[in-house]
Amino acid sequence: MIYLLTIFLPMLLAGYIYLFTRRIGGAKYIALALFVALFIEAWLTYTNLLPSGYTMLGSYLDVKRFDFVLTLQVDRFSVIMLLLVSVLLIFVTLTSWSVKHQSAYFSLLIFFAGPIFGLFMSTNLLWFFIFWELTLIPIYFLIGIWGDKQRIFAAMKFFIYTHLASMLMLLAFFLLYKQSTTFDMTQIKEGALTTPALIWWLLFIAFAIKMPLFPFHTWLPIAHVEAPAPVSSLLAGVLLKMGAYGMIRLVVLMLPHQAQKYDYIILILGLATLFYAAFMALYTTHIKKMVAYSSISHMGLVAIAISALSFSGLSSALFEMIGHALIISILFVIAGIFHEKTGSWQMGDMGGIMQKAPYLATLFVIGGLAALGLPSTIGFIGELSVLISAIMAHGVWLAVIAAASLLSAGYFIWAFRRVIYGKQSKVVALTNFAIHPVVFGALAIFAILVIAFGIFPQFLFSGIDRAFDTYHLLGGLA
Amino acid sequence: MSELILYLVISPFAAALLAYAFGKIDKQIAFWISEILTLSLFIAVLYLFFHYTNPISVDINWFKFGHFSIPIGLYIDHLSMVMLLIVSGLGFLDIHYSHDYMAEDPHQPRYYGYMLFFIGGMILLVSAKQLSGLFTGWELMGLASYLLISFWHEQKAPADSGVSAFLYTKAGDIFLFASLGLLFYYAGTLNMVTIDHLATSGKISSHVSFVVAIFILIAALGKSGQFPFFPWLLRAMEGPTTVSALIHGATMVNSGIYIVARLFGFYAAGDALIVVASIAALGVFVGATSALVQSEMKRVLAYSTMSHLALAFVGLGVGSLAAGMMHLSNHAIFKALLFLGAGAVMLSTNDTKDMWRFGGLKKPLFLVAIFMAMGALSLGGIPPFSGYFSKDAIFATTIATNHGDIITALTLIGGLLSIAYITRMWILIFAGKPRDIELFNAVKTPSKFWISLPLGIMAVATLVLGFFQKDLADYIISAKYIEPHITHMMPVILGAIISLAGIMYYFYYLRLDLVKKLIAQPLIKSIHNILLNGYYVERFITWFTHNIMVDFLAKVVTYIDIHLLDAVIDGTNDASHVVFNRLSKTNTKKSGDYTGGVIFLVGLVILTVMIGARA
Repeated sequence: MIYLLTIFLPMLLAGYIYLFTRRIGGAKYIALALFVALFIEAWLTYTNLLPSGYTMLGSYLDVKRFDFVLTLQVDRFSVIMLLLVSVLLIFVTLTSWSVKHQSAYFSLLIFFAGPIFGLFMSTNLLWFFIFWELTLIPIYFLIGIWGDKQRIFAAMKFFIYTHLASMLMLLAFFLLYKQSTTFDMTQIKEGALTTPALIWWLLFIAFAIKMPLFPFHTWLPIAHVEAPAPVSSLLAGVLLKMGAYGMIRLVVLMLPHQAQKYDYIILILGLATLFYAAFMALYTTHIKKMVAYSSISHMGLVAIAISALSFSGLSSALFEMIGHALIISILFVIAGIFHEKTGSWQMGDMGGIMQKAPYLATLFVIGGLAALGLPSTIGFIGELSVLISAIMAHGVWLAVIAAASLLSAGYFIWAFRRVIYGKQSKVVALTNFAIHPVVFGALAIFAILVIAFGIFPQFLFSGIDRAFDTYHLLGGLA
Repeated sequence: MSELILYLVISPFAAALLAYAFGKIDKQIAFWISEILTLSLFIAVLYLFFHYTNPISVDINWFKFGHFSIPIGLYIDHLSMVMLLIVSGLGFLDIHYSHDYMAEDPHQPRYYGYMLFFIGGMILLVSAKQLSGLFTGWELMGLASYLLISFWHEQKAPADSGVSAFLYTKAGDIFLFASLGLLFYYAGTLNMVTIDHLATSGKISSHVSFVVAIFILIAALGKSGQFPFFPWLLRAMEGPTTVSALIHGATMVNSGIYIVARLFGFYAAGDALIVVASIAALGVFVGATSALVQSEMKRVLAYSTMSHLALAFVGLGVGSLAAGMMHLSNHAIFKALLFLGAGAVMLSTNDTKDMWRFGGLKKPLFLVAIFMAMGALSLGGIPPFSGYFSKDAIFATTIATNHGDIITALTLIGGLLSIAYITRMWILIFAGKPRDIELFNAVKTPSKFWISLPLGIMAVATLVLGFFQKDLADYIISAKYIEPHITHMMPVILGAIISLAGIMYYFYYLRLDLVKKLIAQPLIKSIHNILLNGYYVERFITWFTHNIMVDFLAKVVTYIDIHLLDAVIDGTNDASHVVFNRLSKTNTKKSGDYTGGVIFLVGLVILTVMIGARA
C-alpha cells in the first residue's frame, strides 16, 4: 500500500501543497522532505529485494477485461533507477533553492515524483504508458513557465515530439496485447508474438526519441537551453534515462531475439549520436548548448553499451547512465548560474570567472573533466567499461569510440579557456557570482560523488552487476 | 615493502590536498608540507632501492563489470626503480628550489597542491602494473601539467598554452585509450609484463602487436613532445620555470619513453622498433636545428628536450633498452639543472628570457654560470660527464644496427648539434660584455641555500653519474637485448664536438656582429625563420584543427542539424497548417478548424486497434 501511496499521493497532494504554501511559503521544505523520504523508501526496497528476479510490491485496480492491472513489482534494475531518480530530485530541489514562484515550482516537482516512481515500479504496460505520459505534464509547465525567452516554443516542441514517441510506444503496446493477450511485461514471451519485428521497431524509435539518439535528438537542445537550469538537470538526469530504461527493459530484455537481429542499428545510431553531437558541441559558442550536446553525445555511449547485448554491456550502460546523470547535472546547473549572473549565453562574453568565483569555477572544471573522461572520475570508468564491452561484443573496430574523447576534450578545454580562464571580461568583472550556500553544497556533493565513484567504482558496480546477472539473454548470451 | 609502495602512490595526493587546504592559512605551510613529503618520498625510494631483491608486486582489484574485471595493481622492478629515483629525487630538489622561485606568488598553496598532485600521478604511472593504472597516472599527470602551465591563468598566453598542452597530448592519449580496449581483446589482460611475455612468445600475433605498438607510440610521442606533437612543449614554457624543469624537462616527458621501454618485448615482437627509430631520428634533427636559432633560453631548452628525448627513443628504436634508458636518466638530471639554472637567471633579471639582452652575467651569477656550464657540457656530450656515455651508446648502436643511412645521419647530426646550441646559449648569457646595461646593473644574486644548492647537487650528480654508467646499464637491461657499446666512438664525437663548439665560440663570442649580418641574408633568413618557427608544424596543425575540424566538419554538421534535421521537425508545424486549412476549406465553410476532428479520428483509430486487440 505504501507504494501505491508513493505514486498517487504526490500527484493528489501537489495541488493542495500549492494552495497551502502559496501564502506562507515553505514548499521547498515539503518537497525536500518528500524526496528524502522517497530515497529512503527506495533504499529500503533495495535492501529487501529478492535475490533474483522481480519482487512483488502489490497489485491494484484489477480490470480483468483489459488486463488493466496496476502491478507494482521491481527488480534490482528498476530500484537502482528509483534511487537515481530520488537522488536527482533532491539535487534539483536543492539547486532550485532560490527559484521564483516557489510554491508552484515545487508543487510541480512533487507532482513529477509520483508518475516517475510509478513508471519504474509498474510492470503493466498500460500503466507504464500512463505514467510515461504523466511525467510530461509537470515538465511542460516547468519549462513553459520558468524557462528562458523561447520557453513556450521549447515546451511545445518538447511535448509534441516526445508525445509522438509515446504514440508509437502505445501502438506497440496494443500490438503486444493483441498478440500475447497480456499487458504485463514480465509475462510477454517473444516467441509467441506474430510481428515481433514491427513491435521492436516501434519501441526502438519511441525510446530512441526519448534518449535521444541521432537523428531524433532535435527536441533536446532547445528544451534544455530554455529550461531553468535545475530542470535541465532533471531532463538529462531523469527523462533521458527513461528512454534508456525503456531501451534496456523493453527493447533488449523483452525482445532479445529481435534485439540481436538489429543490434547493429542500435550500435550505428549510438556511434552516430556520439560523434555527431560532439561535433555540434565543438562548433557552438552557447555554453548551455554545449553542455546539452555533450549530454546527447554521452547518451550515444549508453546506446553503444546497450547494443553489446551482453551482461557487461548492460552493466556498463547502467553505470554510464548514473555517471552521466551526476556529471551533466553539475554542468547544467553551473552553466545556468553563469548565464543568470552574466546575462549572456555566449562563452565569448564570459572569461576569467576563476578569478571571481574560484570554487564555482572549480566545480565546473571537475564536471567538465569528468565529462571528457578523465581517469579518477566516474566519466572515465563509464567510458572504459563501454569501450571494453563494445569491443568484446562487436570487434576491435569499435576502438574508434576512443576518438570521441578527443572531441569532448576539445570542447570542454576550450570552454574552460573561454569561460573560466583568461582575462576577466567586462561583464564578468562587474558581476557578483555569489550563490546560495545550499545550491553550492548540492553541487559540491555531486562533484565529490563524481570523484569518489571514479576512484571506487566497485561500490556502484557491485549493485549494478547483480541487476543483470539474473538475465540470461538467449541462453548463451554472455 | 608493499605498504611502502602504497605510501609512495597515495601520499602525494593526500599531501596535495593538505598543502592546498593548510596553505590558505600560511603559504609557508604549503611549502613545508611539500618539502617534507617529497623528501620522505625520496628516502622511501632509496630504501626500496637498497633493499630491492625481486620485483615487488601489489594486486588491487579496481572494478568488475559483467564478466570482465579491471585491476589497478602496482609493480616495481628495475625499470620503475630508475624512474622512481628520478621523479622523487628531482621532485624534491625542484620543490626546494621553488621556495625562492615562487616566493612572491600569492597562489602558492595552489602551486604546491598541483606539484604534489603531479608527482603522485607520475609515481602512479611508473609503478603501475596494468595499463589501466598507467593510463590513470598518464592522464592525471597530463591534467597537472595543464593546470601548471596555465598556472597564471589570468593572462592570455599561459591560458592558451595550457589548452595546447592538453589537446595535443590528448590527441595522442586517445590512441593509448584505444589500446586499452584492443589489448583487453587480444591479450585478455592489461598487465604489461604479461603482455610483454605474450608478445615475445608469439601468443599475440605480430600484426596485432605492430598496430597496437604504433597506437601506443602515438600516445608516447604526444606525451614526450616529439615530432609532430612538439608545439605544445614549446608553449608549455609559459608556465613557471620550476614546472618546465620538473614536468617538461625531466619527468613527465619521459613517460613516453618509459612506456615503450616497459613494453620493449612487445615492440620488438611487433617489429615496431624501426618505426620508433625513424620518427625519433626526425625529431632529433628537427629539435636540434630549431634549438640553434632560438632567442629565448627556455625555448632553446625546450627544443633541446625534444631532441634529446628523441635520441632516447632512437636508442630504444635501434634495439638498445639500456642506451635509451641511460640517456633518459642522464638527460633528466642535466635538463632539470639547465632549466633551473635558466630559472635562476630569470629570477635575478626580473623574468627576462631573451638571451640577446644578457651577456656577461657570469660575474654576478658565478655559481649559476659554473653549474650551468657543467650541465651544458653534459648535454653537449663531453666526457666524463654522464651525457657523453649515453649519447655515445646511442650513436654506436645506431651505427652498428644500421637501419638506414637517413636514420643514422639524422641522429648523428642532430645529436652532435647539441653542443653547438648549448654553447651558443651559455655564451650569450654568461660570456662577453653586458648588452643591456640597465638589466645588468639590476641583477640580484640568488640565495645560495634555496637556489644554488639544488643546482650544485644536480651538477655534481651529472658528473658523478658518468662514472657509474656501466652499472646503470647493467641495472636496466636484461641480457637478451643489444648491449650498448660504451666509449666506442670517443675520437669521432670529441672531434666533432670540439669543432662545433669552436665555431660557436668564434661566432657568438668573437664576431657577434657577423651573426647578425649573416641572418640578414635572404636565404639564410628564410632558413632561420623556418627553424625559429619549428618548421611551421604548429601553424599547420592550428590551421588544420581550426579550418578543417571546427570551421568545416563541425560547421557542416551544425548546418545539417539546423537546416535539415530540425527543419523537418519544425516544418511539420507549417505543414499541418497547410493541411488543416485546406481541409477546412474543402469540407465546410462555417467551421474554420478541423484540428479537433482530426485528433478525434486518430483517437478512433487507436480505439479500433484496442478493440481489435481484445478479439
